[in-house]
Amino acid sequence: MGFAVDTRRLGRWALNAVACIAMAYLLVPLVSVTWLAFWSQEIPTFPPEGYTFAWFGAALAQPKFVGGFLTSLQVGIAATALGVALGVPAALALARRGFPGRGALNQFLLMPLVVPGVVLGTAIYVFQVEAEIATEWPILGSVPGLIAGHALIVIPWVVRLIGASLAGFDRSIEEAALNLGAGPWTAFFRITLPSIRPGIVAGALFGFVTSFGNLEMSLFLIAPGMTTLPIAILQYLEWRLDPTIAAVSVMQIALIAAAMLVTDRYVKLARVV
Amino acid sequence: MATTLSASERREARDQVLTAGALIGPATIFVAAGLLVPIAILFRYSLNDVGPYKQMIEAFTAANYLRFFSDPYYTTVLARTLRVAVTCTLVCLLLGFPLAYVLARMQSQRKNLFIMLVVLPLFVGNAVRAAGWMALFGSKGVVNSLLMRIGLIDAPLEIMYTEVVVTIGIIAVNLPFMVLTLQSVIEGIDRAVEEAAFSLGANPYHMARRVLLPLALPGLLAGSILTFILAMNAYATPVLLGGPRFVMMGPLVYNQFVQQNNWPFGASISFVLMAATIVLTATANILVQRRYRR
Repeated sequence: MGFAVDTRRLGRWALNAVACIAMAYLLVPLVSVTWLAFWSQEIPTFPPEGYTFAWFGAALAQPKFVGGFLTSLQVGIAATALGVALGVPAALALARRGFPGRGALNQFLLMPLVVPGVVLGTAIYVFQVEAEIATEWPILGSVPGLIAGHALIVIPWVVRLIGASLAGFDRSIEEAALNLGAGPWTAFFRITLPSIRPGIVAGALFGFVTSFGNLEMSLFLIAPGMTTLPIAILQYLEWRLDPTIAAVSVMQIALIAAAMLVTDRYVKLARVV
Repeated sequence: MATTLSASERREARDQVLTAGALIGPATIFVAAGLLVPIAILFRYSLNDVGPYKQMIEAFTAANYLRFFSDPYYTTVLARTLRVAVTCTLVCLLLGFPLAYVLARMQSQRKNLFIMLVVLPLFVGNAVRAAGWMALFGSKGVVNSLLMRIGLIDAPLEIMYTEVVVTIGIIAVNLPFMVLTLQSVIEGIDRAVEEAAFSLGANPYHMARRVLLPLALPGLLAGSILTFILAMNAYATPVLLGGPRFVMMGPLVYNQFVQQNNWPFGASISFVLMAATIVLTATANILVQRRYRR
């Protein structure tokens, strides 16, 4: 018996050790870039000569990053609005029983997250080329074109997270409201909407973060001279690594961490991802 | 069956299907138009010919695919991408399973914090994480400076722009996906099953091999497939950590398409990449399921 307990303790210890290594592995790049953002010398030669906050000001003084941030913000908000407008009704329909092809449609709406980013980017690029030729509207490289592309990767998050929040929703409450004389719109706004609100908030925030951080698709769809924040970061890093770009990275980490904390107030992350 | 329903019941059932259709229709049309139609057009482009100035000529030829497979430069890129993707998937399994297990068996309050710490790197973006690795592994970075200071090496090691650093970077990008997938599957496995194996005299190794892993197999498969797909298609990590010398398939598609402006060839590389990914994941799926079917 004593021997059996010892191997279990040993197994448990080994498991925890590997889990700690894995967790550290995930966080090392974030810690490393955060540390670099405070180094006082411009060329990142280890060890740091001192520490400063100056690079945050330098980062904010670069129009590429501010402009890229504003474009990403604008595209992210619009794409999230479009994705929520399309995704919420779809999630509601998918939650109904006895509707043919439900499983297949659910899988289909989740597909944009599974198709690789580079393939999705090239495919939407050629689609917009053809659409521009057919309609003679300036679609390629336009902000609406980018928004439509991003809405495609917002929809799966909305469908998935609202689906998760509808799993525990009792439809009979909605039916009771209808039986008591409420119109379908009243029943929706007074009964259904309040109970799926956490799912909408979580889906919208996850969708927004996905759009905001998207790189591969945006690379294909932006016009020359236009930039999003992830593209601005990538292009800067292709050229050089310094504390300024690290400061930009830290601001992005902080923004996304804040968005996640807000989401967590509505839906416990451990339950939805 | 239909004859037993009254006319009003039938109308109600039909109305429900119509409402559901009206609700889900717009999203379905949007995804079909934004995903399936573009992929079909891309495939058509890949069969077109390339003119002397790289302009696209309407044709119906396999020349682009033949060019890819007959030029050692491109087949090397494909082989390299496959090698990196397989390595990343294996390491993600080895590191991801223990972390997923510990998270799945954790109590709620602390668990939420740790899940957030796994999700945060996922959402922060690949370029930002690549910057972190660059600060560590550059020729004057933390690792090289420390090694030189303690006298282990005389000249900085070339870690940047190698297969090793690209693999390290992609593992960090994909690990959260593996952990989250496995975590949700392990949560569904009753702890009592593990206790039963232990009380019947199994040691931890046998318990894991004979009880835990077979039960977690759907998650292991789903997580590996996702990790493999993402590694095959990585873009930012190979561009930033691999540089122009270490080319993988994702950056190759972008180069041909946007920088070389060779649309038919770029489209065909895109399809080779997609086909290689789909064929390999489908094969792995069949093999694993056959191996464990009783």
